[in-house]
Amino acid sequence: MNTPPQRLVHLWDATQCIGCGACVMACTATNAPEMLFREETGWQSLASNIRRIESVNGQGRPELLLVQCQHCQRAPCVKTCPFGATRHDARGLVRLDPALCAGCKYCVTSCPYNVRWMHPDQGLPMKCMGAGCLELIGQGQPPACVQACPAMARDFGDRNDPRSSVSQTLRTRRTRRLLEHLGTEPNYFVVVGS
Amino acid sequence: MSAPVDLHAQAAIAHWGWTIAWFLWFVGIAGMGSVAYVFVRRAALAYVIFGSLAVGIGLVTGHLSRWWNLPRVIFNMVVHGTTNWGSWMLIGTVLLTVHLFLALVPVLAHLECARRFRWLDWTRSLQTGTVYLGVFAGVGFMVTVYSGFLISDAAGIPLWNTALIPVLWVISSSVATIAVLELCHLFGGLDERVSHFSLRLGIGLDALKLFAVLAFLHVSLSVGSTGARLAATEMVSGRYALMTWLGVISVGILIPLALGLRTVWRGPRKPLLFVSAVSALTGALLLRAVVLLAGVFEPLA
Repeated sequence: MNTPPQRLVHLWDATQCIGCGACVMACTATNAPEMLFREETGWQSLASNIRRIESVNGQGRPELLLVQCQHCQRAPCVKTCPFGATRHDARGLVRLDPALCAGCKYCVTSCPYNVRWMHPDQGLPMKCMGAGCLELIGQGQPPACVQACPAMARDFGDRNDPRSSVSQTLRTRRTRRLLEHLGTEPNYFVVVGS
Repeated sequence: MSAPVDLHAQAAIAHWGWTIAWFLWFVGIAGMGSVAYVFVRRAALAYVIFGSLAVGIGLVTGHLSRWWNLPRVIFNMVVHGTTNWGSWMLIGTVLLTVHLFLALVPVLAHLECARRFRWLDWTRSLQTGTVYLGVFAGVGFMVTVYSGFLISDAAGIPLWNTALIPVLWVISSSVATIAVLELCHLFGGLDERVSHFSLRLGIGLDALKLFAVLAFLHVSLSVGSTGARLAATEMVSGRYALMTWLGVISVGILIPLALGLRTVWRGPRKPLLFVSAVSALTGALLLRAVVLLAGVFEPLA
């Protein structure tokens, strides 16, 4: 695969996040406002492109994980989509073209991160980034989740640009990626320490 | 081990449930039925193959959440070449379409009312030809294999990510096809000689299917990832245990196996053959359903 000129990545700082849920709400309000008062029946939570996972670790300590489309470089959903509706754009983002989607849901079962949800009215397998956020980044603004975060725990930018804030964070902080052993090469980084 | 908090069944999110199970069952019967048609060129089997394919394709098309967008998708596919030949879904779509047209040939050849139309004579000569029969059987086998790879290629559901699924699908579809042949025999569509042969073959395939199902569960439980292990546990001792042990193993394998052995030793009895065939068909459906319904995403927490 050719390396794209840009490599847009998401970054979530688990050490800064206060778990307020502002990013989750902002995502729905920006990308699927009609779903603001409706539940995603599978996850039994707000229909959002960001999934909130709460758990308790081995020491009995509560843990929080925010997951969204990882914009994998070797995305299984791109590999399985029969009609090319899910594909990479020039910036490395995994995009969904509604015009090419027949709603087979193969991408939903192909995503190891379980971050796609079926829109009950449009029949689309929704994911980050939605149309609202794509418009925002087209205008040179950060996506809604980054703008809404009161704790500055979220960031978004070009990893190929060494001056970008995400590049600086990735250089200086300890990060991890989810299910890295699957070889999907995700572009969603979780900051776990200094 | 306590269950992770974010454990989600794919059926609740992707909605690959009973409709897809029926689809896989129908195309499995049509697929391996086409292989059987090479040896048993009877009208009843031709009708079952075509009917199964038509119903299966209808079910999967109806399951699309944006079926109304299909013309636009097909237009883009043809005009702009927006296809992904690396996707088993697209390969399957092509295979199913080709198979449907191929399955129409023997139907037209066998239909009494179609004999009035001289321009359909080619169907009667074609359906006995070696080349046609070979292609029909080959495409049928590939359709069955596709229905397995379709599942095993879905990277989000670790229970399915094993090469055993296509193998299991081929074996259980063969068992279901033999059950169809038995039913055809019982309702007068097949002679006894074919029934005897298929019965003996069925016993061997039932034993092989039992081995394959247990191997699938064993591999998932012993070396599978957390998601595969949790899903297999649901099948063995959890929510779907009844469906697995009573439906897939007892009804789907042990009953046909026992009745098959009894028939070989003591001779055929039509009510028992009927029970055996219906059990085998039910088991093939429940196998697909339980594998689909038990599938969960890999827990991230």
